[in-house]
Amino acid sequence: MRTGARHKLREFRAPDEVGAEGRAWTVVRTAYLDREPAPARRLRPRLAALTPALAVIAAVLVLSPAGARVGQIITHALGVRHAAPALSSLPSEGRVLVSGPGGTWMAAADGSTRRLGAWSQASWSPHGLYVAVAAGNRLAAVDPRGDIQWAITRPRVSDPRWYSPSGYRVAYLSGATLRVIAGDGTGDRLLATHVAYVAPAWRTGAALGPYELAYVTNRHQVVVRDADTARVLWTASLRTRPLQVMWSGDGRRLVVVTAHQVRTFAADGALVATLHVAASDAALSPDGRSLALVLNRDQVVVDGRRLFAGAGVRAVSWSPDGRWLLVDWPAADQWVFVRAAGAPRVAAVSRIAQQFSARGAFPQLEGWCCAARGPAG
Amino acid sequence: MSSLGERLPAAADSLAIAGELGRRRTRRPRSEQALIRGILAGSEADLEALFHRYWPRAYRAAFLIVHDHAAAEDIAQEAFLAAIRRLDRFDRGRRFGPWLSAIVANRAIDWVRARAARREAAGDGVGDAASCPEVPTGRYSQEVLTALASLSPEHRAVIVLRYLLEYSPGEIARALDLPRGTVNSRLRRGLDALEPRLKGMDLP
Repeated sequence: MRTGARHKLREFRAPDEVGAEGRAWTVVRTAYLDREPAPARRLRPRLAALTPALAVIAAVLVLSPAGARVGQIITHALGVRHAAPALSSLPSEGRVLVSGPGGTWMAAADGSTRRLGAWSQASWSPHGLYVAVAAGNRLAAVDPRGDIQWAITRPRVSDPRWYSPSGYRVAYLSGATLRVIAGDGTGDRLLATHVAYVAPAWRTGAALGPYELAYVTNRHQVVVRDADTARVLWTASLRTRPLQVMWSGDGRRLVVVTAHQVRTFAADGALVATLHVAASDAALSPDGRSLALVLNRDQVVVDGRRLFAGAGVRAVSWSPDGRWLLVDWPAADQWVFVRAAGAPRVAAVSRIAQQFSARGAFPQLEGWCCAARGPAG
Repeated sequence: MSSLGERLPAAADSLAIAGELGRRRTRRPRSEQALIRGILAGSEADLEALFHRYWPRAYRAAFLIVHDHAAAEDIAQEAFLAAIRRLDRFDRGRRFGPWLSAIVANRAIDWVRARAARREAAGDGVGDAASCPEVPTGRYSQEVLTALASLSPEHRAVIVLRYLLEYSPGEIARALDLPRGTVNSRLRRGLDALEPRLKGMDLP
């Protein structure tokens, strides 16, 4: 028996041994090369390097007269009056993705809605052909009909994000680890441990990379890493916990939102600007030139203009054409569409919770993506 | 899946892992002590040699205990990272393999326990070894896996360390911080449980 057991165990081969070995070697080698990291660079603000758009953002601290007037016009306390009782259309092209206790839903430009499944989080692929979804221990890619294309099981999955522009990678959190999987659901692997519960952000690159990913560690450090080689490109330590990281569309700036500051870094890690504001949410416009901020949970400011004010606003999302902002307002159970380009205009829809959730809780805004295209859309 | 611009990538376009494997295995074998000295001195080549020498057994051992290939990959990978981090404190009078295997086995046992707790809490059967979707390869792999599934993770670990990695009971006792008598009794009970399941197999 003992000879038999020994022989059988020697013959044993685990699944995908070569693939696992290659992935693990990449991580181990990188950890070895990084074992004595160089002292962190002392980052100094280089205000001269501010882009025009970011310089305008600095004007948030003192609202321009025009901005103040707009803010006075659009100030609300208990919800926008004459809000539509149900979503009949979006003011711009594209589709809005939401998740909540009632699962993940998609709202189309014509106002029609479709439930994609019992998922708790979701994010669009770059062209809106697929949605990465997560719930509990499951990560999946579904098409806009909700059909599952692939799925994997990992502990406590959250915050999936597709690489843009190709969708060839998806980053996601599994507990306190950061993992990356190819867009077809293969090659899942660990990229980093001790990661904070903040959604990672891909830097927009070419179709085949480089696949550069920004994420936050549980020591308040922002790390930018090559996802295929696992090489750390740069890090920045912050005193307060980053709540959000996002790259501009051109990949030249990384915006980091904390409870009291909004910091902007250049692609090489140099600190470009710091705004001392209490932002609870932020969204870069599709062209990367404008930053919308939710300040003090009661106003939405874009490029120095207060576009909207209302107690309890939570999040914002840009329309694909960059002309409209969708303001997520749980306290009023409303979605408010505010035109960011041209003359101020507001359109609101009430009873959002009822439309997207069987249990009446207000759903989380997950993104407003491009118009449907082709058979999948 | 799509005929449009945003196609999902083929598996071949997956994470960049090729190339690394082709460069290795042409190096002259060096002693384990020499490799460790080299690693501590900063030699990536020595790290690569040590890694590839011990990875297959570490991964297989983890897989035989947890029966989940992704978890086994994570466990073996984390064990290597932990070993490399602690290499300067490693007693070079000992063998590296048992030391690494101890880390793997202990983490694998912890993982199985945690999974059992999660399963109790969730009330589902996720991760059942018998329904593992990743089919192992090798002449006896599926039979061995099925037989081992009947053992507790502690018994599995001892059996795997003894008969896959071929460590002595004394080395296993030191690695798992167990009395030698406990190792022997687990080996005996484990083999007693495996015997009827593997009995009918043909052996050369």
